[in-house]
Amino acid sequence: MMLLRLITWPYVRRHRLRTVLTTVGIVLGVAVFVGMHTANQSVLFAFYKTIDRIAGKAELQITAGEGGFPESVLEQVQAMPEVKVAVPVIEAPVDTNLKGEGNLLILAVDMTGDRSLRDYDLEGGEEAVVDDPLVFLAQPDSLIVTREFADRNGLQTGAKVPMRTMDGEKLFTVRGIMKSGGLTQAFGGNLAVMDIYAAQTVFGRGRTFDRVDLALNEGVPLADGRAAIGRRLGPGYQVDPPSSRGQQIDSVIRVYSFTANVNSAFALFIGMFIIYNSFSIAVAQRRREIGILRALGASRGQIRTLFLVESGLAGLVGSLLGLGFGVLLSRGLALYVSGLIAGVYGLAERTTEIATEPRLMLFGLLMGVTTSVIAGLVPARNAARVDPIQALQKGRYQVLSAGENRIRRVAAIILGGASLLSLVLGGRSMILFYAGFVTSLLALLLLSPTGALWLTRALRPLLRRLRPVEGALAADSLIQAPRRTSATVTALMLSLALVIGMGGIAKAVSDSILDWTTTALNPDLFVTASQSLTERNFRFPSSLGDALERIEGVDEVQRVRSHRVNYQGSPVMIVAVEAKSLGDRARRPPVEGPPEMYELAAQGKGVILSDNFASLRGLHYGDTIELATPTGVHRVPVIGLVVDWSDQQGAILMDRASYIRWWGDDTVNVFRIYVEPGVPPMDVRARIIERFAGTQRLFVLTNREVRSWITALTEQWMGLAYAQIAIAVLVAILGIVNTLTVSIIDRRRELGVLQAVGGLRNQIRRTIWMEALTIGIVGLVLGFAVGSVTLHYVLEISQRAVTGMSLPYKFPWAIAGLLVPLILGSAFVASLWPAESAVRGSLVEALEYE
Amino acid sequence: MTIGIRDSGLGIREATLTRRIRALPATIALGAALALAARPAAAQEGRQIMEEAQKRTQADSQHYEGLLQVVDSKGKISDKRWVYDRLGSHGRSRSVLTFVQPAEVKGVALLIVNFPDRASDQWMWTPAIQRERRIALQDRSTRFFGTDFSFEDLEERDTGQYDYAMFGEESIEGVACWKIESRPRKGKSSQYTSSIVWVRKDNYAFQRIENYIRDTVVRRLKYSKLENVQGIWTARVLEMADLKRNSRTILTFEKLEYNIPMKEENFTLQALRRGQ
Repeated sequence: MMLLRLITWPYVRRHRLRTVLTTVGIVLGVAVFVGMHTANQSVLFAFYKTIDRIAGKAELQITAGEGGFPESVLEQVQAMPEVKVAVPVIEAPVDTNLKGEGNLLILAVDMTGDRSLRDYDLEGGEEAVVDDPLVFLAQPDSLIVTREFADRNGLQTGAKVPMRTMDGEKLFTVRGIMKSGGLTQAFGGNLAVMDIYAAQTVFGRGRTFDRVDLALNEGVPLADGRAAIGRRLGPGYQVDPPSSRGQQIDSVIRVYSFTANVNSAFALFIGMFIIYNSFSIAVAQRRREIGILRALGASRGQIRTLFLVESGLAGLVGSLLGLGFGVLLSRGLALYVSGLIAGVYGLAERTTEIATEPRLMLFGLLMGVTTSVIAGLVPARNAARVDPIQALQKGRYQVLSAGENRIRRVAAIILGGASLLSLVLGGRSMILFYAGFVTSLLALLLLSPTGALWLTRALRPLLRRLRPVEGALAADSLIQAPRRTSATVTALMLSLALVIGMGGIAKAVSDSILDWTTTALNPDLFVTASQSLTERNFRFPSSLGDALERIEGVDEVQRVRSHRVNYQGSPVMIVAVEAKSLGDRARRPPVEGPPEMYELAAQGKGVILSDNFASLRGLHYGDTIELATPTGVHRVPVIGLVVDWSDQQGAILMDRASYIRWWGDDTVNVFRIYVEPGVPPMDVRARIIERFAGTQRLFVLTNREVRSWITALTEQWMGLAYAQIAIAVLVAILGIVNTLTVSIIDRRRELGVLQAVGGLRNQIRRTIWMEALTIGIVGLVLGFAVGSVTLHYVLEISQRAVTGMSLPYKFPWAIAGLLVPLILGSAFVASLWPAESAVRGSLVEALEYE
Repeated sequence: MTIGIRDSGLGIREATLTRRIRALPATIALGAALALAARPAAAQEGRQIMEEAQKRTQADSQHYEGLLQVVDSKGKISDKRWVYDRLGSHGRSRSVLTFVQPAEVKGVALLIVNFPDRASDQWMWTPAIQRERRIALQDRSTRFFGTDFSFEDLEERDTGQYDYAMFGEESIEGVACWKIESRPRKGKSSQYTSSIVWVRKDNYAFQRIENYIRDTVVRRLKYSKLENVQGIWTARVLEMADLKRNSRTILTFEKLEYNIPMKEENFTLQALRRGQ
């Protein structure tokens, strides 16, 4: 403690900027980790809370994917001896058109029985508020809203709320207001209750329900009741506790959590090198102090402990700051993630509360401190080994160990060999794959000092040619301080490798989506029930397709019905369309399977799988999958695989006729319309709108609009990747700033001597600038090299563990091209202040050591 | 139909009542089981009275126009009107109740098919969305569209679904009555644990019914303005009070007729769909 106060604290005070820069890596790493996970947890928490509030006293919920099921299932369930009460539910978000309100979650129930499960807590005393319960049921425009929603929009009983229904925009009447609390807090208060039979019309559901909520009779154990009901209904139905509805959003968020983990690991790794670098220099700078302490009787252990405690404290401060920033960051991220989920999945949730998880915070703290302590291990060991006699001799503090380099190189070769072996022999083994990734990364890390040295030596002639004195000085400075240089270069290299990895995957995704939209989404027009193609709450009757076919200029109409179903416990998208027509118009090249797979699908001989679905479940052409449908389990051959971006979880493409037969559902989400040759699509669009104006909720999107929408969505998806790229670049820049700053401070004597022997200020400046640029160039070269390896592994991880998509390896040249001026520019800018500091410092002070 | 518990001629009730009387259905029905064991003679007497009451309200059909007034705990009154038709009597009847006022609910109808040995089937028809909805058995204890009657109270259950116990005699509002307890027989579902029915000694018409859940009275039905309509003593006014909510619903029978010709095909879901 006393050592800390006497030795460390004055040093920290003298080097405030360096201390701050040292902890930046930890701050960022912890902030990204905590921020992202807190955001994800908050979104999940809000979602689960809404589920919980909406579920009320329901113990089990019966679903059959997103497609719903016939009304008759309700009576079947109500008649089961285990069931006390079972009520039907339709739940869907709708756009209210109210300014600033966004979506309103409609909970459509049968009010005659639903109050057995949910407490609507109506103001003014039970149903008295629903001014008249009979009117509520008799008038399909009836709504009960929450007090929060009513207050926000100045609504009273009898007020009108606009909503877009299947019959166009309609005004709904507020016939009840729920008191605050419980159910009303679901969905941030943006909840409205309506009659389920009216909702069937509003949402075009036909005579189906989305779900049945039920409570069991007293004494019936949940597991027994669940099993009995499931057995009677058959495999096409899922009987689950309400909490399991979070499963889908869970799986979506898992992708973000994974990305967050990778990025925070990288940030911490980079932070580790920054700390290592700073502490190594601190040890070198404080050799005299260490020598004095040792001479005064301090043991090696005490010196080691002192530096470890310092690194631990740096980690603690960095982690605490990281936690704070992380929580701040999580607010924005939570909105972003929930917005993204709303956009892509049509599930919207207002995330108003940030759920800070103490365990997560503790983990973040430990992670930051541990990283910092690990980074301080080597400098602490070196400090402990300082010889007091040598330390008190002035000027000898750069140590170069040839033996150390050799050991490192040998280790790198062994690890590289192991990595190659795991690549060749690993097959589908994830353990070997990850082992290969880690060993290759370690090998590259171990090689980076050698690589940096070689590259600097290779650059020396060039630098000398540019500026004989300054170039040589800059190169020699880097060559003679390999530890300092390599730590900086490694930090920069890792940051750039991360950028290349993230950029590469972003590029691969964009290219693949572009290819998919070009071939698969080629109709001239799309008729949808909402502005978003992923929103499936509104559905058209199939007959609308006949009406569309009759419109002048329409050549062909394809009816698409897509909805998520449960496949072996995970959600997967069923896409049902006229397969023959799809094959004729928008044939995708098979990843596996014969070219005539569309024709086979049209004959009902099997289904086509998206390659991500197949990859995640180890399925191939010729396999058979079991589809649990309301009409029973169907064993269906896989007749082909295609790259398809319909859904992150994967898609099963099947012929519409089979779908209608198995699911008993002939509704349509989207009509794909091809216009006759020579007919302008905009003319047909105008005719469709004119034909159905005011009578049918319908949006006609042009091919270009759909592509723009998908591009925007992709950009939104990629937003996170870009943000992380920006963080990686920021870390890289900070690394350079840190290194140069400490490097200058470290070399004040050397620079002082240069000035004393006649070196001009401009020469000193240029030396430092060239040094910075050299670090930038070396970091870029190594970063691109490591990045190209990282990209391979990141693509593989994405395919094997996250999305299942097989993405082509494409080096992101555009991003790499951008990085060159960015990093070199940053290096130059980062060197300006250290350069000025070097030339403006007191010469006497600088030479004091001599 | 509990409402009908007494065939007051409430259309609803009437038909029901009759039945009800037999069964004194849901409402009435309780307590007999226990009582029976202890007092077989009293039980016998109670059943005889109830069966006689049911017999006296038997009719081939019933028609009336009802005025329904719901008085909430704050004294606010809301009115509705309906037309009621019933074909058959007691446990073998079908009835259709169609709202005619106010305008927002005009055309909303309720079809009730009663059975002698089990709870009725009920469907509600909503003309605005052209949809019928089944009122599930589990929902029969819920309030009938904001009134103080429950859906179960609209049923006409047969006396065979209940056990009875004679609780003696008592004067209600100056009228001498038998006091009889009814409890649903084992296996027969009802929201009520028991009901106490006061049957007038002079004409076997119901004077009052109190419905219990466990030991607490939850609803009280009063019969008043008793008239002899085509030989059947019928209360022209029923008042159901929800003692928990402190609200009451008054049902007044107008244009009441018995035994008029009615067609069976008008008492089906198809008939509801085509607007009767």
